[in-house]
Amino acid sequence: MIPTRCMVQAGQIADSTEAQLREDMKAFAEKSFGSEPFIQWVVVPENSGFTAAKPSTSVIVQMMSNRPLKTPERIEMLKELCDIWIERTGKSMNEVVCAVADPFVQDAA
Amino acid sequence: MPLYVCNTRKGGISDAAKEKIAKDITDIHCDVTDAPPDFVHAFFFEEADELPLGNNAAVLHGNIRFGRNDKQKAEIIDRMRASIHTHSGLQADEISVSISDTPASWVMEGGELLPEPGEEAEWLKALDQKIAATNSS
Repeated sequence: MIPTRCMVQAGQIADSTEAQLREDMKAFAEKSFGSEPFIQWVVVPENSGFTAAKPSTSVIVQMMSNRPLKTPERIEMLKELCDIWIERTGKSMNEVVCAVADPFVQDAA
Repeated sequence: MPLYVCNTRKGGISDAAKEKIAKDITDIHCDVTDAPPDFVHAFFFEEADELPLGNNAAVLHGNIRFGRNDKQKAEIIDRMRASIHTHSGLQADEISVSISDTPASWVMEGGELLPEPGEEAEWLKALDQKIAATNSS
């Protein structure tokens, strides 16, 4: 499973859009990582999200890869992920923040 | 990015206080790191499972770009704890603040990888031009 956290602002993403995005994320994770996402859909409550100290319209999407990624591959993934969210939500490119992290590396004991 | 997430007990921070703390978070982060305010996100939750409170009344976690030194992080932590204390009335020793780093190259905003610390001005200029070109096409 690919840990995935989608942080959205209350009232800004319709239920139908959320359902589409979940399907999109599933397809993206299966194609990119060969594994399904484990999605945490986190809604920032009303009056509780701020970007640049103003009410936020941002979405933040964070995924953790199941293998270390080289930069060119990560860039392609991030572009695709951002495009999915921009297209589905109608938000502008500077309202969509996406991150794909490498897996945690545990020190050898 | 940075993303600051604050979790409190129910009613721990009023909406009015959230606005003030969010402004302080933005100002403190920008003051200490020279990052532009447009990058700074501050989200508040109550009783959120993702950021356990433990014995604290409030927990603030900042996920910032890699490259800040320990002194900068310590200053951010101290000043943000003081802001939450001042505006919420919660006891300072019941407010836990922590920071973790994420490489800039792991994050995309505005359709571009985030700039490394210190390269923000050029990055923002290029982004403005990109958005202007998108809007005019």
